[in-house]
Amino acid sequence: MKVLKVPARTIAVFVLPCLLLYIGLVFVPILVSFYTGLLRWDGITDSTFIGLDNFRNMFVNDTVFWPAVRHTLLYAVASMLEIPVCLWMAILLSRYVRKGNTLVSIYFTPVILSVVIIGQLWKTIYNPASMGGMLNGVLIAFGLDSWTHSWLTEPKIAMYSLYFVSLWQYFGYHLLIQYTGVQNIPDEIYEAAKIDGAEGFKADRYITLPLIVSIFKVSIVLAFIGSLQAFELVVVMTGGGPAHATDVISTHMYNSSFLSLKYGYGSAIAAFLVILCLICTVIINTVFNRLEKKFS
Amino acid sequence: MATRKLLKTCAVALSATLALSLAACGNANNNNAASGSNTGTGTASSGGNKKVTITFQNIYPDPATPSYKMLHELIAQYEQDHPNVHIELDTLNTDQQKVKLKTQAASKEVPDITIVNPAAQMKPFVDAGLLAPLNDVIDQNGLKDTYQSGLLDYYSFDGNVYALPDGNNIEVVFYNKDLFQQAGISDTPKTFEEMLQDVKTLKSKGITPIAIGEKDSWTGSFLFMNMLLRTNGGPGFLKDVVDGKKTFSDPAFIQAVDRFQDLVQAGAFPDGATSIDATAGGNIFKSGKAAMWVIGSWETGAIDASSVAGKVGAFQFPTVDGKGDPNEFMLAPGSAFAVSANSEHLQETKDFLNFFTLNLPKKQFDLKNAVGLGQKVDGDLKSAGYSDLAISIANLFNEVKGGDLAFDNTMNPATAQVHLSSIQNLFVQKVDSAQVAKEHQSAYEANK
Repeated sequence: MKVLKVPARTIAVFVLPCLLLYIGLVFVPILVSFYTGLLRWDGITDSTFIGLDNFRNMFVNDTVFWPAVRHTLLYAVASMLEIPVCLWMAILLSRYVRKGNTLVSIYFTPVILSVVIIGQLWKTIYNPASMGGMLNGVLIAFGLDSWTHSWLTEPKIAMYSLYFVSLWQYFGYHLLIQYTGVQNIPDEIYEAAKIDGAEGFKADRYITLPLIVSIFKVSIVLAFIGSLQAFELVVVMTGGGPAHATDVISTHMYNSSFLSLKYGYGSAIAAFLVILCLICTVIINTVFNRLEKKFS
Repeated sequence: MATRKLLKTCAVALSATLALSLAACGNANNNNAASGSNTGTGTASSGGNKKVTITFQNIYPDPATPSYKMLHELIAQYEQDHPNVHIELDTLNTDQQKVKLKTQAASKEVPDITIVNPAAQMKPFVDAGLLAPLNDVIDQNGLKDTYQSGLLDYYSFDGNVYALPDGNNIEVVFYNKDLFQQAGISDTPKTFEEMLQDVKTLKSKGITPIAIGEKDSWTGSFLFMNMLLRTNGGPGFLKDVVDGKKTFSDPAFIQAVDRFQDLVQAGAFPDGATSIDATAGGNIFKSGKAAMWVIGSWETGAIDASSVAGKVGAFQFPTVDGKGDPNEFMLAPGSAFAVSANSEHLQETKDFLNFFTLNLPKKQFDLKNAVGLGQKVDGDLKSAGYSDLAISIANLFNEVKGGDLAFDNTMNPATAQVHLSSIQNLFVQKVDSAQVAKEHQSAYEANK
């Protein structure tokens, strides 16, 4: 490989401004909010330093916190589940559909829409039939009255209704990534495989999968980390309610900081979220590094 | 490579922290707020002609409402009389404004004029020294005497007034006369038992008995507090809790929770009430789909402008288990105009605010929005063309014998939030009332 020989100073000229901006906009605020997490502070009046009390309260006394963590982690896991399906779709599309791009574009549409619009759309779909809710309306039309639910307000199923919307919204996004990945595998490889007797799904097992692992990883990381920070969709559709049944970490952080006026406590939750994201990223990376090694 | 990817993904992850502040500032109209007060004033003080820009954060975003017109007309008039003064508006809806002000307060950059809520909700701002005392403003031009007696107390701390309210409302039960008639109900309920009976009758006729949008959890609490006001035999329950004379396990509180659950179990509220926000909840009533709406008198004008205009009456919340006085109301002293203590043009701002509040009642009266005003207005509602509903509400004001403030105006925000979601929970599942009381009490003790 050819390596450009460029003086370190030149590199610095190009990299430093961005790096400084990045540090100033991302790392400094993170450090500040870690520090704020050590304060008892309403965000308005004077603060007092209370050490790790906020964290202790969060882990021990807060009855909303752990359910919120559970909802968030489930959210992240649920969002990963669709990626194998996307890969499957992508393979089918590239094999059996001549101009797959059009279809992929159509699937991609929800990704472009603003989350607020998606939220409002699905809120209307989930509404009780008496308010014109489409889902319940369809169920009743098919005579499945007993299947109707108040999808967003029954504490036991509200969270799953949200997961589904998220899956629906990002399906096209992950499909696009997988599809591009599959398309980028050169035809010659498949032709060579054909001569060796590997065709159809056998070719997928030995060629497509190994070659797409890295793309697959990108999808997984994006989906996982993205849903750890899920916020807008929950706020728009349920606001974390009813009675915290759909609270995720980020909405709990927001509510604590701005509604309960516990800014310090909210920052502690934010710090926890940062650490959780870091840990999850490390885990995903380790797992995939092993997978990549195994396949190559 | 691996580390760079890690960094990259971290960056994505960490933006969650940033999302917090973005969500707060990223709302509409953020272009004029923070920057307006500073850059604007910067050039002003250096210029010889002393051009002054005053930032006015307000919560009247809807051009169709009388309050919006009032605001714009008064500002136009003032700017005409004072060519050197420019009033810059930062218009937000109520919830956005609350969050924005809190983020601004955290960085000590409160707009020259902003909106605060009474009592407990504005206390942190006063404690932090962010708001300027307005005693000299109300002493000018007889402004003080225009306010209803006692009203300014909700905005006073240590003998200083810190904000001037835009209204003073009571909570009433609006009802749709047509729907009552359709269900064969001849009279408005005087006791809770009658109300419960009416709810069941309406429900059996396929009419939604009581409109509510409980996604914004204050609505349910505001209704619930009516019951507490009754079962407690009068106002002051929360004050007694704060003073240590009572706890939330008091029979009055338990009873109020039980009665409230009776209402929920009887199917009084729309299906999926907790997914409907307050505005949409109100629209259920305003479009004639619900028979009752328990809400503040500030909605009078909006009801008169809706499709059910002329069909609506209002009555006092009934007694509960024979307790309470119907003429005691949930009181809602309005959101109020406060001035930043660090304003660079404190004098000009105060002068403008004096003009604004002095002329507000007359303007609102002309715009047919005088019901629930915090200031006295001269003029006869009837001859000015106000609706029967507006006049009957205005008459109800004369009956007021006191009452309570909303929960979140009395308790600290952290306890209030626990209360709000606890009441919201009652809409979706039946809960042991002792458990509800315990939840309240431990939240109160943890956040005292």
